[in-house]
Amino acid sequence: MAEQPDLSVHLGRGLCLRSPVMVASGTFGYGFDAPLVDRTALGAIVTKGTTPRAREGNAPTRIAETPSGMLNAIGLQNPGVDHVARIYAPMWAAWDVPVIVNVAGDAVDDYVGVARRLDGVAGVAGLELNISCPNIANGLQFGIDPRPAAQLTTAVRAVTRLPLLVKLTPNVTDIVAVGRAVEDAGADAVSAINTYVGMAIDVRRRRPVLSRGSGGLSGPAIKPLALHAVWQLSAALSIPVVGIGGIMTAADALEFLLAGAAAVQLGTVNYVRPQAAREVRDGIASYLDEHHLGDLGALPIRPARVEAHV
Amino acid sequence: MSLALKPAVVLERSTPMSGAVELVVHHPPAAAALRPGQFFQLAVAAPQTILRRPYSAAWADPDSGRIGFIFNVVGAGSGWLAVRHEGHELDLLGPLGRGFDLDGSKPAIIVAGGLGVAVFPGVVGALVARGRQVTVLLGARTSAQLLPSGRFPGAEVMTATDDGTAGYQGSVVDLMPVALGRFPPPQGEGRGGGPEIFACGPTPMLQALLEKSRRLGVPLGLIQVSLETPMGCGVGTCLGCAIARPGGGYLLTCLDGPCVRADRIDWSRTADAFHG
Repeated sequence: MAEQPDLSVHLGRGLCLRSPVMVASGTFGYGFDAPLVDRTALGAIVTKGTTPRAREGNAPTRIAETPSGMLNAIGLQNPGVDHVARIYAPMWAAWDVPVIVNVAGDAVDDYVGVARRLDGVAGVAGLELNISCPNIANGLQFGIDPRPAAQLTTAVRAVTRLPLLVKLTPNVTDIVAVGRAVEDAGADAVSAINTYVGMAIDVRRRRPVLSRGSGGLSGPAIKPLALHAVWQLSAALSIPVVGIGGIMTAADALEFLLAGAAAVQLGTVNYVRPQAAREVRDGIASYLDEHHLGDLGALPIRPARVEAHV
Repeated sequence: MSLALKPAVVLERSTPMSGAVELVVHHPPAAAALRPGQFFQLAVAAPQTILRRPYSAAWADPDSGRIGFIFNVVGAGSGWLAVRHEGHELDLLGPLGRGFDLDGSKPAIIVAGGLGVAVFPGVVGALVARGRQVTVLLGARTSAQLLPSGRFPGAEVMTATDDGTAGYQGSVVDLMPVALGRFPPPQGEGRGGGPEIFACGPTPMLQALLEKSRRLGVPLGLIQVSLETPMGCGVGTCLGCAIARPGGGYLLTCLDGPCVRADRIDWSRTADAFHG
């Protein structure tokens, strides 16, 4: 039996995962509602988007299935950062998996407040800044322009020692420009991508299916788009890129790792196959083994190498 | 909670009434764990579908390990399920959510509109087994779409059809005064007096039932409904199946329901967004 491949990943500032397969924000709650999942099989858990105060979320209807995907407009329903810090974090501290808190808000002060509240809290392994939520008023305001994205990242960087991921929106003309801006502002890694803004219309009732009208599209429908974003970002940035978007299988995850992602997050698939993260991790390990690759570092095919072959 | 990890095997497929399919599957741990009114998330492999489909179990028999599901074809997922046959495997997650609260000794009135009847064979069986007097009010568009009354042994069945081909012509909700008239009237608010009501059907039917019940003096706390909403994960993580709560905020159909007392829902904020 060959030696087990090394699946560990470093995302900067001491954040080390034993597997590159994380679960994405909003698809795993705060880690407590997944009775079928062996948490030790996960690289990390990224929590539901967390705001300074509790939020009720949007009125139903909040989700809709679309071809090979789903729309959601949950509206950041969450119990607020104080509850997270006091009740959830102490439980996470006993878990054998890093928990990264996804941070959201309406203003710079919201993000700074959440980050400050969580700095030094045992059980919180990192922060992921959600500058890309399409489902609240102004949720995209920081993510669609390099300058506010950088200003927000700088402000949060100043109040936390935690590893800082910034989750980018694909609803932009130039995602690389936003990625570069947050890198320069002190992000340790970027997560790419959040959902695409989309909608569905109920033909019989002649109105949008979602109560909010639009929502965020996820699932296999967006995978080729996400993959291209990761391909561009990983060529342009020197910080790690965490690939997200429609990953259902190990082969999907490998596409992202080959495109240059240092790690991946599984989202929609968690709703369908609760064991997906383990299956994907095992599939990546088998691939490395079959191809006699000792670790993940050998996977990325750099755009330069591709161009050289063209 | 026994969350199934091994697939169930389809034993039988039949047509219990016009337009509906009944699948009987074998999964002893899930059959043993099921409480009447709970649901399963069924994986479907229809092209371009992603999410599992939530289906309340129609009934379960712990002795034989069998579970029944009754449904009609409304889209790609149910269309895929409808062509499962004996020997096919079915990937199910569950049982999930809260079933009906069947404790207590009051007489029970079941109000089932359309495919809402699908949850009740097991519920009625459990109520009868507890020695409770059960009246089943069944409503459908036409007689061929009524689940046969033989599926409710030990209960009295009254029917209503929109076209008058069986029983009363009109809404099943209109049968309420007759059914209620046989029992002493409810006494004041709370859960004292009168029979207890268990309902499932399209949201407009449920809202008509609540309105009728208010006029008849039946407290909402005596009515339990089985809700149907769009659903993502079925286990409380996606927060997609929200339903408005009185005083603000939301319940989740998957965790707080699907069976809920009617006074826990803000019906004025519960639109007819949901197909019945």
